[in-house]
Amino acid sequence: MNNKPLRQLQAYLQSKLKPAHYQSLAGIIGDMPRLLAINLACGFAVTFVLRGGGTLFQNVLFSMFIGFSAYSLIKLFKRLFWGAGTPNTIAFYLMCVMVAPLALIVGMFIAALAFNYPLPDISKFKWSYMGSFVTLTCIVSLIAAWSFWSRSKMAELQASAEAEKAKNAAIEKQAMQAQLQMLQAQIEPHMLFNTLANLQGLIALDPPRAQHMLAQLIVYLRNTLSSSRAEKTTLKQEFTLMQAYLELLAIRMGKRLQYTLDLPDDLQQTPIAPMLLQPLVENAIKHGLEPKMEGGSIHVVAEKQGSQLHLKVIDTGLGLPFNYDDNKNVSSAANNIGNANIRERLQALYGPLASLSLQANQPEGAIAHLSIPIN
Amino acid sequence: MTAKRALIAEDEPILALTLQKMLEKLWPELQLCAMVENGVQAVQEALDKQPDILFLDIKMPGKTGLEVAQELAEEWPDDKAFPLIVYVTAYDEYAIEAFEHSASDYVLKPVSVERLSKTVQRLHARLDDGVQRPNELDRVLEQLRHLVPGQALPGGNSTGNKATPERLRIIRAAVGNQIRMINVDDVLYFEATDKYINVITKEHSSLIRSSLRELLPQLDSSIFWQIHRSTVVNTLHIQIANKDDTGKISLKLKGSEDKLQVSRVYAHLFRQM
Repeated sequence: MNNKPLRQLQAYLQSKLKPAHYQSLAGIIGDMPRLLAINLACGFAVTFVLRGGGTLFQNVLFSMFIGFSAYSLIKLFKRLFWGAGTPNTIAFYLMCVMVAPLALIVGMFIAALAFNYPLPDISKFKWSYMGSFVTLTCIVSLIAAWSFWSRSKMAELQASAEAEKAKNAAIEKQAMQAQLQMLQAQIEPHMLFNTLANLQGLIALDPPRAQHMLAQLIVYLRNTLSSSRAEKTTLKQEFTLMQAYLELLAIRMGKRLQYTLDLPDDLQQTPIAPMLLQPLVENAIKHGLEPKMEGGSIHVVAEKQGSQLHLKVIDTGLGLPFNYDDNKNVSSAANNIGNANIRERLQALYGPLASLSLQANQPEGAIAHLSIPIN
Repeated sequence: MTAKRALIAEDEPILALTLQKMLEKLWPELQLCAMVENGVQAVQEALDKQPDILFLDIKMPGKTGLEVAQELAEEWPDDKAFPLIVYVTAYDEYAIEAFEHSASDYVLKPVSVERLSKTVQRLHARLDDGVQRPNELDRVLEQLRHLVPGQALPGGNSTGNKATPERLRIIRAAVGNQIRMINVDDVLYFEATDKYINVITKEHSSLIRSSLRELLPQLDSSIFWQIHRSTVVNTLHIQIANKDDTGKISLKLKGSEDKLQVSRVYAHLFRQM
């Protein structure tokens, strides 16, 4: 119930402060309960264990001031010596021990000033116990430093674990999306029903060709289904799939479509993620060749240059839209949205060494060029 | 009674042949006067041969079946009866809904003999009933209003793209070695030619390499209206719409001598409110 104003404050601070400042402020606030507990414990210890005189209230008050001074001084010195970097462990503890007596004096003086104790009186009042006080402060300072240190270490570990988790989730999401697209592609009704309509016609007109077409449809469906479940497939399998797909379209489109596939023998077993090549071929058909009255040809080729695999889909179709801009991620054309998805997947799967570019083919059509590192 | 004549427009040869064979069985007297494989040929052949029935595939290169119907409605001679149209389409939920809604005749691919024979019966009935024919053009225009909602024609490049395309603000037109930057608000109208669109402003006219099908989804359809298959006008620049004695509407624009013809397909846009 009380969390609401707290969260509002948090959101407010987050919006007003720079992220780095907000982080350190959040860290300090997070340290507070622990610091207060330690200070309280010291107050009790001084009153009942060391029996340094003074009331419990006075001692707790002084402990608070000394504790806060130590905390601030350690923060300050850490900043001064190591900046934003991580300090050496031993040097850091050594620094804490050195800071302890200083914090003791500073804290006591501030407390004295704040509550109007005469300073000489204060020094007289506590001086005889100074030795044990310094020892106590040193020990407490060490314990506190260790405790805060491990807390920040824990937070760091937690943060890196969370980052790892987020990254995995992103990759998983990409894979899910790809699978979803795949499923949609499989059952794209227009493609399926048009193919079936052709089959229906061929059964009456030319049974042997109907057999051939059915065989292609079976290869296409089987490969699409199996590669939608696989994380990796081989170029050979992808090319088999493309061969069946293009053969189906060539039967449908008649003389309006010619195709060639070129996969060198030494690249047959090269692994590749599914649903990278297929959408490019489908785009070339859908946006380039199918809507073109004269039709044309499509050429799918794989080649290796050094440690890069190059896959090219070259068509002589209608070409890229008049306002196509390869550098723009979001664009008006429908196929560009598809390309943005492919780029995201490439990034997630292969990192910055992979790329997809679209350019005009001469004298007509488009070239889609996929470049992937092979390890 | 003379034998009825039909045209089949279908880009996939096996499907065209299959439809032909089925029709031969179901309607032996029907004469097939033309078989074409794209939308452009369909318009040419239909105007040339003037068949009684058109079987139009929806998704064809050149022009979609709906664009063919629209262009024929604009171009058809006044003294000739407009043909009956049967649309042929592969499964597409959106389109089927539209066809049902507009009460158009359509058959689905793969074509079933039963469905086609029902269609044939209906065509027979309507062709025998000669009185209905003069109204056929109005009927097709009314259907097209349902089938072609707003500006975007289904079956075009943008079909299946549910994402709203980015709106065009500036048009880049090449003029010699220079690129002219044209604010869309300054455009009076767009006029499509074969492969280009002429962009007309008060000062200039410039060509861009595009089609209306590509351009229309990027324009604000509340301001840019298609008024003819090749013309899109910026309504903010219209001064007045004139209706002549034959009922044809033409537009006069502010700051331009050009007169734009509104085709009968889009005449309903200029009825008074």
